[in-house]
Amino acid sequence: MVAPLMQTFVQRRVIGIFLLIAAILAVAWGHARLAPVMRHIAYLTGWILLAVCLFLTAYNARKKLPFLPLGNSRTWLQIHAYVGYLSVALFFAHTGWRWPEGWFEGILAALYLAVAASGVFGLLWSRVVPRRLTAQGGEVLYERIPTVRRQLAERAEALALNSVESTQSVAIADFYNHDLAAFFVGPGDLWRHLIDVERPTDRLQNRMDDLNRFLTPDQRVVLAQIAELVRQKDGLDYQHALQLSLRLWLFVHIPLTYSLLIFTALHVVLVFGFSAGVGFH
Amino acid sequence: MDATILKVERPGRWDSPLDPEFSDADLDRLLQLAPFSEMNPESFSRKQPLRAILQNDSRIRRFKRGELIVRAGDYGSSAFMIVSGTVRVVLPPGLPDRVLGRRDSAKKSIFRVIAQLWGNHRNPEVRTPEELGMGNRNLVGEGTEARVFLQDVPRLLDQNKTVTIGSGEFFGEIAALSRMPRTATIFCDTDGTELLEIRWQGLRDLLKFDPALRAHIDVLYRKNTLSNALRSFPLFQHLSEDQLSRVAAQTQFGTFGDYDWSGDYKKLAQSGTNSPEKETLIAQEGDYPDGVVFVRSGFARLTKRFASGQRTLNYLGAGRSFGLKEIAHNWRNPENPRPFQFSLRVIGYTHTLFVPTQVMEEIVLPGAPKHLLPEPLTAPVDDSDAVDPLKDQGGFAERIGPELMEFLTGRRFFNGTATMVINLERCTRCDDCVRACASTHDNNPRFLRHGPVSAGIQVAQACMHCVDPVCMIGCPTGAIHRDAAGGSVVINQATCIGCTSCANNCPYEAIRMVEARDTGGAFVVDAELKPILKATKCDLCLDQYGGPACERACPHDALTRMNLTRLDHLAEWLHR
Repeated sequence: MVAPLMQTFVQRRVIGIFLLIAAILAVAWGHARLAPVMRHIAYLTGWILLAVCLFLTAYNARKKLPFLPLGNSRTWLQIHAYVGYLSVALFFAHTGWRWPEGWFEGILAALYLAVAASGVFGLLWSRVVPRRLTAQGGEVLYERIPTVRRQLAERAEALALNSVESTQSVAIADFYNHDLAAFFVGPGDLWRHLIDVERPTDRLQNRMDDLNRFLTPDQRVVLAQIAELVRQKDGLDYQHALQLSLRLWLFVHIPLTYSLLIFTALHVVLVFGFSAGVGFH
Repeated sequence: MDATILKVERPGRWDSPLDPEFSDADLDRLLQLAPFSEMNPESFSRKQPLRAILQNDSRIRRFKRGELIVRAGDYGSSAFMIVSGTVRVVLPPGLPDRVLGRRDSAKKSIFRVIAQLWGNHRNPEVRTPEELGMGNRNLVGEGTEARVFLQDVPRLLDQNKTVTIGSGEFFGEIAALSRMPRTATIFCDTDGTELLEIRWQGLRDLLKFDPALRAHIDVLYRKNTLSNALRSFPLFQHLSEDQLSRVAAQTQFGTFGDYDWSGDYKKLAQSGTNSPEKETLIAQEGDYPDGVVFVRSGFARLTKRFASGQRTLNYLGAGRSFGLKEIAHNWRNPENPRPFQFSLRVIGYTHTLFVPTQVMEEIVLPGAPKHLLPEPLTAPVDDSDAVDPLKDQGGFAERIGPELMEFLTGRRFFNGTATMVINLERCTRCDDCVRACASTHDNNPRFLRHGPVSAGIQVAQACMHCVDPVCMIGCPTGAIHRDAAGGSVVINQATCIGCTSCANNCPYEAIRMVEARDTGGAFVVDAELKPILKATKCDLCLDQYGGPACERACPHDALTRMNLTRLDHLAEWLHR
C-alpha cells in the first residue's frame, strides 16, 4: 500500500502564511469599515482579543491532557503560532495603533508584547537549538547531566591526585586545584555556550599548553588525559546550556501569559466599572 | 589495567540441552518409535549423531486434559510429535482471545479516558488485583514452566470445531522452521498425553541427515502452506489452480541464517563488528539468475559491490522478491542476458521460496499482468562501479543516504512496524512525549527518549512492534501476543508471570521488568517475599483514542511511529 502523500514543511508554511495574511487583511478591512460607524469598536476588538488569548492559552491545557482526543500537538502549535501573529494585529487594532495612556494599560500592553515576543523567540530558538545540539553530538539526557558532571569531576580529581605519587610532582595537582577544580564542579559559562562565539575552554587549553612545556613525559600523559576530560566537560556544559535554554524560555512565556490574563481580567473590570473610560477608548 | 586473561571453555553445540534430565531410557524408548526407528544412524555425521541430537534438542512433556499446547498466533521455536495420547486442533475461527489468556483490545470508555485526569496512581507500577492475575484459575506452575489450562472444555468443544490427532503425528514444524506464527490452537485431549518437543535446531539437523523426514516435512509444507504462501505474492495471483500446483511442485523453500539471531545481534551490536561481507549469501551479484527468491519471513540485505566492499541498497522483508528484474529482462531480451545485478544476504534469519527460472519463464511470466513486470534493465552491469548504486531502488536509498541506510540495516531496525523515530534536528528535548506516555499509562512512561543516533535521526528505546517479534518466542503463558485488531505486540498483565523471557529476547531492549505494587503503593511479593515482576513496554496506546500519545504530543513534528519494513515512508518523512 502506498502511504498518503505527506505535507512538506514548505507547503505547510505557505498555507499558514497565506491564511495569516488573509486574516490580517480581514481584521484591517473590518476595522476600517466599522471604526467610523461603531462608537465603541474597542469593545469588539477587546472581546475578540480576549477570546484569542484564551484560545492561545488553551494550548497549554491541551498539553496537560494528552489522553483526550483533542488533536495533535503539532497542529495545535501551528495554529497557536499563526493565531499568535494574528493577535498582534488585533492588539494594535484594539489600541488604535498607539501606545496606551495610563500606567495600568501600559503594563498590560507591555505584558502582551512580552508574551508575544517570548513566543516568537521561543519558536525561533526551538528551530535553531536542536540543530546545534545534534551537530555537537555526545548528547546526554538533561536529567543525567549532573551525574555525568560529577563523574567527570571525580575522574579528573583522581587523575590529579594520583599524579602526585605516580610522577613524584605536585605540578599537575596544583594546576588542577588552581585552574580546573572550579571548572569541573560547576555548569560552565552559560552565555558563552549559548552565543557560541568563544569556547570557555579556550583559555584553559592555552594554560594547559603552557604548562605542558614544563612537564616530563609521564606528566604530559596525565595532563593529556585531563585535557580529554576538559573537552568532555566542555561538551557537557554546551549540552546543559542549550537544553536549559530550551526549557527556560517556557518558564518566561507561560508565567507572563498567566500574568497577562490576570491583568486582562482586571482591565475588563476597570473598563466596565469606569465606563467613561481612560486610555484607549 | 589488569592484564589477567580470563580463560573459559569454548561453548559447544551440546552445552545447553533442552532437558538436562533426559534419560538414556527415555532416549531408547524414543528410538523405538517411528519415524526415529526408521532413521539410519549411519546417515548422520559423527559430530552430530542421531542420539546426540535427540538427547540435546528434545524432551518428552506430559500434558493433562484441557492444557494448552500451542496458541494460534503465537511464535514458537519448537515442533511437537505425539508419542502417546491425543490432542485437539481448534479449527477456524478459533478460540476467543480471553480464553487464550490474552487481553481485550477494546478501547477505554470515554469516561475512563477522562478519569485519567484524576485517577492515575501516584506510585509507579500499581496493579489492580485483576492485573495481578489473582483468581486466575487457568494458570498452574511458575516461570517458563507455567502451564495454562482451558476452562470448561466440554462447552468449548460444543462451540468450536476441532480435529483430533494422535500418536506419530507432527505439528508446529512449519511455524518452528519458518518463524511464522502458529496457525491453530492445540490443546491436550486425553490426560497423560506425551509429546516429544523438538527445538528448531534439532529439527533442522534431523532434516539435514534424514531424507525421509525431510520428504515428510516437505510434503506437509507443500500440502498445507505452500500454495497459500505463493498466492500471497501478487505475481502468482493470476495463475490457475493447475498452474499454481505446477509452480508449487518445483518451488524450493529455504531457511538461512540463525533462528536465534537476536542473541547474536546483541553481541554484534556491542562489538560493533557488523558487516555485510560476513553475512550468508543467498544470491551473488554477477551470477547467472537461476530463479527468483521470494522472502517469506525474516529479512535479507540487498547489496552491491562498491569499491572494495558491499554497499547496502535496501533490505527485503516478507513479500519482497529478488531476481525478478533480471529474469524478466532475460525472458524479454534473450539476446542480451544479464546476471544478477545485486547480491542478497541473510540478515539474522530468512525464510525464502525459490522459484526456478524455467518455471518463471514457462508458467508465471507469460500471463503476468504488465504492471507487475519490472522495466527492462538499462545500465550495463560492467558500469556498476562507476554508478553510485544508491541511485537504484526507486531512489529511496539515495534519499535516505548511505549512513542512515547502514544504520537501519546494521541495527536491524527494519524489523519495526511502529518504530519510534525522532528527528533530532527538530526535537527540542521537551519530553512532552514522555509525559504524554506516562499520563496514558497510569503515570508510568513506557519508553526511553534515548537510543542510537545516525544522521540526526534517533531510534528511541520503545517497542517497535516487530514483524519478527522474537520477544514472543518462549512466553510460557502467551501473555505477550499480537493484538487481534491491529497486530501490535501487547502484554496481558494478568497472565504475565514475570519470567523475563520476553525482555531477554528483545534485541532492542524495549521491554522492561518492573516490580508491581498494590493500589496502596506497597510492593507485591510472593510467599517467599520475592517481588512480583511484570513485563512492560509500549502498547501503542491501543486502549486510548487518537493513536500513540507520544506522537500526538510532539509539538515540533519531530517524533513519529513509523513502519520501517519499507523505506518509502521514511524517505518521504525525511524530506518533508
